[in-house]
Amino acid sequence: MRDLFKAELLRFRGWALGALAVHLLVLAFLARVVDLAQQPVLVYRVFGGVDVLAGLLLGLYQMGSYRRPNTWLNLLHRPLAPARIAAALLGAGLAWLAVAVALPVLLIGAYQAGLTARVVDLRHWLLPLAAWLLAACGYVAGACCMLGPARRAIAALVLLVALATNQASGVWALLVQTLALAWLAAMLLASFKPDLSAAPRSPLATVLLAVPLQAGVYLLILLLEFGGQMVWIMQGSHPNNTETPPPGGQNETERMTPQQRMLAGLAVSRAPQAPTWREQVALSEVVSIEPALSGLPVRGALTNAAPVDFDDTAQNVRWTFSHDRMRLVGYRIAGGRGVGTLGVGTTNGAFPAPAVAIAALPGQPKDDRGLIAGNRLYHYISESRQILPRIQLPPGEWLLGTTPVGENLAVQSDRALYFYDGRDIVASEAPLRPRERMPLPGAVGDLRDLDLIELVDGYLVSASFTTYAWVMDGTAPYQTLTWVHDDGRVEEVARRAIAFDYPAWFRYQAWWPSPALYALRHAVTGLFARPDPLQATTPAPLPRGIRWLAGGLMLASLLAALWLVRRRELSLPAKAAWVIVCGVIGLPALASLWLLYPACEAGRLTMHAQPAI
Amino acid sequence: MTDHVIETRALTKRYGAKLALDALDLSIAAGRIHAIVGANGAGKSTLFRILLGFLPPTSGSARILGRDSQQLTPADRGRIGFVNEEHTLPGWMRVSAVAAMQRRQYPRWNPRAYEEVIGHYHVLPEQKVGQLSRGERAGFNLALTLAQGPELLVLDEPTLGLDVVAKRAFLESLMYSSAAESCTVIYCSHQMEEIERVAENLIILERGRLAHMSAPEEFCARVTHWVADIPFAGPPPASVPGLLQVQRIDGLHHYLVLDQHDDFAQFLRGAGARTVQSMPVSLDRAVNGFLAKNHAMPAAA
Repeated sequence: MRDLFKAELLRFRGWALGALAVHLLVLAFLARVVDLAQQPVLVYRVFGGVDVLAGLLLGLYQMGSYRRPNTWLNLLHRPLAPARIAAALLGAGLAWLAVAVALPVLLIGAYQAGLTARVVDLRHWLLPLAAWLLAACGYVAGACCMLGPARRAIAALVLLVALATNQASGVWALLVQTLALAWLAAMLLASFKPDLSAAPRSPLATVLLAVPLQAGVYLLILLLEFGGQMVWIMQGSHPNNTETPPPGGQNETERMTPQQRMLAGLAVSRAPQAPTWREQVALSEVVSIEPALSGLPVRGALTNAAPVDFDDTAQNVRWTFSHDRMRLVGYRIAGGRGVGTLGVGTTNGAFPAPAVAIAALPGQPKDDRGLIAGNRLYHYISESRQILPRIQLPPGEWLLGTTPVGENLAVQSDRALYFYDGRDIVASEAPLRPRERMPLPGAVGDLRDLDLIELVDGYLVSASFTTYAWVMDGTAPYQTLTWVHDDGRVEEVARRAIAFDYPAWFRYQAWWPSPALYALRHAVTGLFARPDPLQATTPAPLPRGIRWLAGGLMLASLLAALWLVRRRELSLPAKAAWVIVCGVIGLPALASLWLLYPACEAGRLTMHAQPAI
Repeated sequence: MTDHVIETRALTKRYGAKLALDALDLSIAAGRIHAIVGANGAGKSTLFRILLGFLPPTSGSARILGRDSQQLTPADRGRIGFVNEEHTLPGWMRVSAVAAMQRRQYPRWNPRAYEEVIGHYHVLPEQKVGQLSRGERAGFNLALTLAQGPELLVLDEPTLGLDVVAKRAFLESLMYSSAAESCTVIYCSHQMEEIERVAENLIILERGRLAHMSAPEEFCARVTHWVADIPFAGPPPASVPGLLQVQRIDGLHHYLVLDQHDDFAQFLRGAGARTVQSMPVSLDRAVNGFLAKNHAMPAAA
């Protein structure tokens, strides 16, 4: 085994060292130009994608070179267990991936930590491991694709898709990648046998292959539906693309101007002030509340959901938030010399959560900044190089952004809209107290447009909840108008039901092909992930017709499985298990049964059949 | 070692509608060199793949060294040497490194057998396998396989693509190897002169079935070549007993027949032959005639 490992190391020595050199050069060049540790998530996704692709190509090439019948026979016909041969080959590939993928990242990290004043946190030291795990997953997936029959290749690839969609961050993301790698390695070992076309024999091997295969078929169904949607768009009758959106529907509301939206809400209001408000809306400026954060930064996350640095050009300092210190770390924009750390208040205290810089509040100097950290807003004062707390929302809420409304300030959280007196902002540096609080009349994930006008005696706020009305996660779309009185009272004055633009079968297209796999998909996406408060929705009730559709497909799969297992060489318990699985999981399970066990050869007897489960 | 190194019972392998092995019953005794011949598609490679556990049979059973071929353990594989026509070896490694790797993997490694065979070739230990000529690679492969100390050595068209000199070198290194003497050798080839030189038992596969098994000389004795001077047309081919092949050359009819004796001369004379002459045939001619008998032809031919 050790000899095979060394032989395979030798085989790829040149390629691996070449890849190491190219990777290092690219990273070194980029590190001279930008701070690679503080890039937006898209940059890390591109790097991760390249790592996966590099691994995938290596796996395809390496196993592809052994896949030919005579070469395969020569490789496996030796006094070594196939698993040990597989371990030797994989070990070599993984070792070279560590050199070509992880080592350059580690070296660049060391350069940034040792030779620059840039921030290198513990989370950055985990990036080489993450890069290696991603490349390793791609590598083993490529090997699985090449070794198994082509019809099963999707089973390996779907695990890469799962990695891309998983929401876990930090060490939890590493754990998810490790689990995916372990699953792929187990799949490979189950396939690594003399007869590559053979169906899995043990129950464990069957589960290892069948579950991702079913998920892969489910993914293909979703892609097929997506293709159908493209055809629909090309046809020109898709609600998103028609010149005139369907009346009363979600698209119509989303395409309205803020003024039109408020007027549409007022049209159904029975409040006696409604006619007056209509006139006021027509004459006033309607303010749209836009959250500054579209994703919440998580301490220790490997990537950056929001920018972690900002420039104070007046002081010639770039401030970067350090997750290890929970403070800002500064260095000169010109020269790169460090200027130390900056925390909250005179005690230089730690931030309660990763801070994100936003524009300064109204009335504050232009070089100042606002800093959002969890439920708090801080004021970064450029001149005195100080950070002072200004707003603190109730515990558990996430402050998402601020919007000037006339002379005042509106602050949105994931649960409420707050109004502050603008005069207090500049009067002193004391923490601000809200004048009014309006709870959001729905889930923040559903909230798409938040508009308001100032009234003589408060605010009229329109909230429309249409974000996910085209899929099953979203609420039944609606709009509310809320009157926030000057004295703090909050009164809903209109509620307008908005029609779905898409038929139910379309909105639930991810669910009815297989409710079980839909649940699995959600479980995998959220595995080890902290629930994102910004994605919280209130899903609409499941229509009865969709339940019947899903149930009908499950029943049809069960009946088809009954027919199919009679034509497959399976033990009786295996047949029973497959019929039940097809009944529970539906069409993807039926397809996996067909893909795992091709039609029997004509006249084949059962004396040599291996039990499949 | 069991009495039979290979035993198949009603072994059948079907690729869709095509039958590669058709209820093959084959028993190969331990010891000696056995040659398996057959036309392309006769099922030789399929048989080896099933015997080595790389293909499942459609039905029937196959045992190798007494073990079900689908249940071979790593230790069993250490007892079976296999050389194929591609001589697939790691081209990026040096000869010495490959030999060292094999030495560590095979507990019964026989360095003398390795030196004995590799001595027939001008192969340097520091050479990379990828730099070896095809003939040298074949010899190196054979040396590695014989040094494993196999009880059964399967050679699947090992000299395919080699030139005459390389073929001769390969055969001599096999024939004069002491390691080859102590194991059973299954030699599969289309080269009849090789079979004639090395084989003590001839096995002919035809369309997935066992068509013949005997010593090569016995098979040659079954096939005779008759030359008859028949004016006008000869007898209809369908009426010629045991006919394998018929040709008309310079006005003489040449018949290659199976299992025909002196009474065949009577048959020819009865068909109008003025003179009849019989002669023995070479193994090459006999096997080719035998295999050509049932070769597929278009319906119109």
